[in-house]
Amino acid sequence: MLKQVGKAEIRVDGPAKVTGRASYPQDLYMAGMLYGKTLRSSKPHAEITIDTTEAEGLKGVIKILTFKDVPHNHYGVLFKDHEVFCSKKVRSIGDPIAFVIATSEKIAHMAIEKIKIDYRELPGVFDAIEAMQSDAPKIHDKGNLIYHYKLRRGNVESAFDRAAAVAENTYRTSMVDHAFLQPEAGLAYLEGSQVVVCVATQYPHFDRQEISEALALPLDRIKVINPAVGGAFGGREDITLQIHLALAAILIGRPVKAVYSREESFAAHSKRHPMVMTYKTAADAEGKLIAMEASIVGDTGAYASWAINVIRKAGVHATGPYVIPNVKVDSYVVYTNNPFAGAMRGFGATQVPIAHEQQMDILAEKLRLDPIEFRLKNCFKPGDRTATGQLLHHSVPLVECIDKVSEWMNQNTGADGGAIE
Amino acid sequence: MKKRGIGIGCGFYGTGYGNGFPDVSRARAKLETDGKIGIYVGATEVGQGAKTVLQQIAAEAMGVSIEDIKFYCESTENTPDAGTAAASRQTYNTGNAIKKACEALKEGLIYIAIDKLLLNSAVGIRVENKKVYLESYPQSAISFEDIAKALTEPLCFEESFTAGTTKMEEESGQGAPYWPYTFSVYGVEVEVDTQTGFVEVLKAVCAQDVGRAINPQLLEGQIDGGFSMALGYALMEDLRLTNGEIRNNRFSSYIIPTALDMPEVKKIIVEDPEVTGPYGAKGVGEPVMVAAAPAILNAIYNAVGVRMREIPVTPDRLLEALMEKE
Repeated sequence: MLKQVGKAEIRVDGPAKVTGRASYPQDLYMAGMLYGKTLRSSKPHAEITIDTTEAEGLKGVIKILTFKDVPHNHYGVLFKDHEVFCSKKVRSIGDPIAFVIATSEKIAHMAIEKIKIDYRELPGVFDAIEAMQSDAPKIHDKGNLIYHYKLRRGNVESAFDRAAAVAENTYRTSMVDHAFLQPEAGLAYLEGSQVVVCVATQYPHFDRQEISEALALPLDRIKVINPAVGGAFGGREDITLQIHLALAAILIGRPVKAVYSREESFAAHSKRHPMVMTYKTAADAEGKLIAMEASIVGDTGAYASWAINVIRKAGVHATGPYVIPNVKVDSYVVYTNNPFAGAMRGFGATQVPIAHEQQMDILAEKLRLDPIEFRLKNCFKPGDRTATGQLLHHSVPLVECIDKVSEWMNQNTGADGGAIE
Repeated sequence: MKKRGIGIGCGFYGTGYGNGFPDVSRARAKLETDGKIGIYVGATEVGQGAKTVLQQIAAEAMGVSIEDIKFYCESTENTPDAGTAAASRQTYNTGNAIKKACEALKEGLIYIAIDKLLLNSAVGIRVENKKVYLESYPQSAISFEDIAKALTEPLCFEESFTAGTTKMEEESGQGAPYWPYTFSVYGVEVEVDTQTGFVEVLKAVCAQDVGRAINPQLLEGQIDGGFSMALGYALMEDLRLTNGEIRNNRFSSYIIPTALDMPEVKKIIVEDPEVTGPYGAKGVGEPVMVAAAPAILNAIYNAVGVRMREIPVTPDRLLEALMEKE
């Protein structure tokens, strides 16, 4: 008999959070602390030259970090395609160029205004499908197409030929933000031979690795402390200010803190990949799905982040939770000069239901079937295989989920499921 | 005119890094000097409830209550790497690692008790209420605290758990890329104002596969959160990108749902234990989101007969679609 599992324990971190006792990185202060502020690109695609001379002369400015100060000027979860500070080129609005460390936040802001950036603008590309063309501006040295996932099962063409109903549509999702409550903030300081970085993150051990690689420091010289985290949803997987703060504390030897405004937070962290999803789905006269073909194009913006994993997850989940014997999916992810996209709740599996679930209703209507009945006919049950050939041998309670929703809807909603005005 | 409609959405979500990539969580279980159980694990509490759920798993494995667990997860210095708090993997992956570490600690405690209680075997020994004893002779027992006092070196066990997936074939995408899969179904009723294009979600229901519910209240919280995020995705959220510039970069223009936009979401927790999960549990952080937005889109069609193929369905987009239909 289970005693602790199944109990509605009150969340253990709850009391400290609701009474204000929990420490978020923004709440941390140390004696002799300095303030850091990031200068970010205002252009989406440009070659740059940086002149910090005037800003450095400002009273209260301790140091201005640029690419010249970073031992290995790159980071990134899959590819190291982000520069810690842009050296020759900016690839999206919001790219970090410099980090001012000053005795007050106000002075740091003033110094930012005095840094001169000479932007020589390059043609940009802001649409994922345009970015796939061979003559599109290149965001990085290689081409813009990062990855193409292919899923092949059965033969879609012959299945479409014998279909009783076919639905063919293109769906589009937008680029959205995690909108977590607590904008990025952090504090770094030295403790013996170690640099300590306090920051809200989803993965402290990986942050430590990123800092270690960029600063050419062994892992045991870095400690990452993860105080209370004010929401994440994938937006704290890629690092933001971690390396900036660690480098500042090491070079100056004093504690350095930075707090992003909401506007800067929007500029600094990843977004959800917008996707263009073209679907062709077919069912036979008995209401069984027989084929699905989908082409999915995701826009990862200027940096790859988790692009490959996200577009692969979108491809694997493209069918929805249904048995379809003939499937052809091609999912692509490309660079553009948009803000970079990365992990966000659902990670590619949130976009595709916008398409497959509307396809299901469209087909049900064509077949004059109730949408629930149509789903029950086709949904995964124990012993079924996914389009990748994976056997779902147990714990597949989808029929029960559909039945329970249907039952509740029948009892509690007024509108008639089939009727269309 | 106001028109009402209903819609349903189904979704599934494969847990973890996937595609054969080593998805590893490590955790340490230690007998603390006061007889409590120390759990050391680099798993982040991002608000999803990891600290609570992972302590419940440890408490279950050790036969104690969560008050007897000391949980450390905030520093890279004293915790092993438990992977990222993402991919709905902490309850499943790290929960398993903690369970394994606790089971190893429990075995360690049993071997010490055999020695201290002068027993001849591990057979029939129970570990419960912070004590170790022979079930058929409970009057002779040794407490965790007494074991801790007698230790000359720390009693600590580190274990790891790696999810089982395969790398998919390059040309066909065939393989077993994720495990486990978690299923979710939403139903909604909406009211569409055909004059303003405004969509209000009146009612919502979610039936959520959870494998096994570790903490039903936290699961319900995840469902509310997943639904509200999907509501914003379907109807409101737009960065208004213009030549790479985010025009809506503050909450006065980047509109997300508030409590006033949220209907009461009826939550139905569906248990069907996953044999590889800790006590049968699956992760739900992302699964609770995937099916909600399309249910809203299907309900809009049911209400007014227009198919919204682009999100978010803002009032101006919906009005335009209604005009085209006329």
